[in-house]
Amino acid sequence: MKAPIGGEFAAPNDHKHHLGPMQRLDAPMHRYPENEDVDYLIVGVGAAGGVLLQRLARAGFRVIGLEAGPFWDTERDWVSDEKGSHQLYWEDMRITGGANPLVFGANNSGKGVGGGSVHWAAFTPRFHPSDFEVYTRDGVGTDWPISYWDLKPYYELLELEMPVAGPAWYPWGDPHGYAYGAHPMGGVGNTLIRGCTKLGIGVSAGGPVAILSGSRNDRPHCIYRGFCIQGCKVGAKASTLITHVPDAVANGAEIRDRSMANRIHLGKDNRVSGVSYFDREGREHFQKAKAVIVSGYAIETPRLLLNSACDGHQKGLANSSDTVGRYLMAQAGTVVLGRFDELVRMYKAPPAHALTEEFYETDPKRDFARGFAIQTVGPLPISFAKQMMAARGAWGWGMRRVMMDYNHWAALGLLGEILPWPENRVTLADERDQWGIPVAHISFNLHDNDKKLIAFAKNKTEEVMRAAGATEIAHEARYAHLVGAARMGSDPATSVVDRYGRSHDIANLFVCDGSVLPTQGSANPGLTIQALAARTADYLISQGASVFNSDKRDMTAPPVRPELSPPGTHGKGVPRFG
Amino acid sequence: MPPNERFNADRERLPIDPRTDLPLPPRTQPGYYPGFSTLSQQSFWDAATREVVRKRVHEVPPIRFFNSEEARLMQTVCEHLLPQDDRDAEHKIPILPFIDERLHHGRTPGYRFEDMPPDGDAYRLGLQAIEQMSRANHQRAFAEISWREQDELLKSIHDAKPLSGAEEIWKGMPIHRYWGLVVQDCVEMYYAHPWAWDEVGFGGPAYPRAYMRLERGEAEPWEVEERRYEWKAPPVSASDPPEEEIAAHKGDPPAGQGGTH
Repeated sequence: MKAPIGGEFAAPNDHKHHLGPMQRLDAPMHRYPENEDVDYLIVGVGAAGGVLLQRLARAGFRVIGLEAGPFWDTERDWVSDEKGSHQLYWEDMRITGGANPLVFGANNSGKGVGGGSVHWAAFTPRFHPSDFEVYTRDGVGTDWPISYWDLKPYYELLELEMPVAGPAWYPWGDPHGYAYGAHPMGGVGNTLIRGCTKLGIGVSAGGPVAILSGSRNDRPHCIYRGFCIQGCKVGAKASTLITHVPDAVANGAEIRDRSMANRIHLGKDNRVSGVSYFDREGREHFQKAKAVIVSGYAIETPRLLLNSACDGHQKGLANSSDTVGRYLMAQAGTVVLGRFDELVRMYKAPPAHALTEEFYETDPKRDFARGFAIQTVGPLPISFAKQMMAARGAWGWGMRRVMMDYNHWAALGLLGEILPWPENRVTLADERDQWGIPVAHISFNLHDNDKKLIAFAKNKTEEVMRAAGATEIAHEARYAHLVGAARMGSDPATSVVDRYGRSHDIANLFVCDGSVLPTQGSANPGLTIQALAARTADYLISQGASVFNSDKRDMTAPPVRPELSPPGTHGKGVPRFG
Repeated sequence: MPPNERFNADRERLPIDPRTDLPLPPRTQPGYYPGFSTLSQQSFWDAATREVVRKRVHEVPPIRFFNSEEARLMQTVCEHLLPQDDRDAEHKIPILPFIDERLHHGRTPGYRFEDMPPDGDAYRLGLQAIEQMSRANHQRAFAEISWREQDELLKSIHDAKPLSGAEEIWKGMPIHRYWGLVVQDCVEMYYAHPWAWDEVGFGGPAYPRAYMRLERGEAEPWEVEERRYEWKAPPVSASDPPEEEIAAHKGDPPAGQGGTH
């Protein structure tokens, strides 16, 4: 067949804003004037910002989401192409250093409405109960100011809102099941299952991933094309752009896109008064707000707080503890590559589709604290070539040769917990970006526990790969995800925000995104970030107007509000065990 | 300079057929998937993707960042880092114009190592270093030394044990980071091209049409089965080492810079 019946697939010829092939934004979006004192101004409409915006708007607050990147029309703006997807990543300059410098851009940083949730692979395991008390249990890192059980109701809500597909029985951490069916296996998933089964290691197949295995409302199911981290044009993979933003806009939220926040302003009585930002033409504006929530993720959030230094807050806003920018974490993400005699074709199926958390918890028999997961990854040709450069030193004819074997390789990624360290931090560099804002400098160093964990995890992943039948093995050292740098805690001397995301220093300034995580476990952080955002929203709704006119800090836990879920997503379908 | 002239491959630069020890003639499509064509499937792609790929194939950007001398030298470097002598003159994949385009627009991958100069400066410094190393060791410009000598010189950068002559430059710019920068750009441009997808058997864009055969490496009806052939790198090449040398590298590789999970 040379062409589809009816001719080649055409571009949409309506004037609608498309969020996937079926979903559209029909009603015009509300616009607030700059001098109107809106209730909440959220800086960054990513994983957390999208959820916050949706819930606050649904609860009747006047909210604006300020977003540095575009408000995507997925049909017109996105492509099924590796090189053509750079616009999805935060590629403004950042300077990276330390003994183990992190890389950014495509690796971990999103730009545009949906943020990183647009280009995540969408693995959505929950954190384990142990993750919230690693200091108490293992004497490393720090404890969270909340427990797993505080977050559990929000995990259950978000697993339905995204929703998450996975097995009906998930045995690790707090055992639970998933309401939406697991995905069929691709070549890489089969590799992991085969290797783990041979070694007697439990494995979860077909999820948990925030990718639709069956169509729901106006979102189609997955078509297994493998371009998850290039943005899911299909609309099957969850991003807040398609899961929460439409409901936010329908409830009166404004999204002001291509607007780069520059400074949070301090008004009278030690309260913030709004945010200045640059529009797409480079003009500076100031939006008034009764409260500000920073949701810029682990680099841009501390960068904005530090750049907002002013009289009385010389080290940056919310930084009396000198903790803003510190305790930045990435997870160890070493990729183990194995060559098989038979074909794998790892470009088919979502990169994220099977995992094991058998090694997640601290094991006293090992010489390090905490643990790791092993997950499928599915690099497309450009990523795979870069991995072969790192893993085998490939270049020239050697590169051409190994690339001709692309379809014989499978890739597994370990996901290992790296502990929080104060000197792993974000600071402001002297260099400035296109707006004249100082760029972020990031310094990152592995410590002894981290190195032992990575070495052990790499060997274990290689063992699985070999058991699966790989005849040749290589690995690429790397890091995945970013969290920390504005951590939550009970002690204002050692943390930036309290357990609801409110800054210790300023009563109407909040942080809600991955940067509040005190530790990170070895689960992909996306689900936890969104669950925390839903919880912060419930808290803000309970507090009502007192956030806007009082400095009092009421730490009463809010009720869980399932009625705030986007329409048609809530139900009683989360299988629970025990 | 017309693109075809740049690729005037000598016979000695052709890969070898190990059965006959004779050069393999250049092909329209190297690789193990003869007849596979992702472009032939483009009416099954969405319009935005089709347009991006069409532009990549048909609108090769002009050279604006490099001056003509730098461009000539960089072109030779690209021919070593990703040799295409097995491709016939009509099917070479342009690499340099797309690197030049990135540098011309000042596009970055979203970060710079603190010990590295900006990407454009790094490219220029690297070219100066290559020229200096050639003059120090061969008393001639890089363009004038033999293909094997060029390959060996570049391999010394790959090995982070550079030939003498550019100590000052390497003191100010970590050699392994320079190597990573240039090789990653080369592979990004080469493997973004649909002809390279055909070469490696990658299915290419697949929206709105789905994949239906996910397991056991099975081919879709429009894909083709693998048909391998043996080939050896050309004798003048230093870039396809035996497995033992690769194994030595595998012990402690530098951190990668891709994004996979």
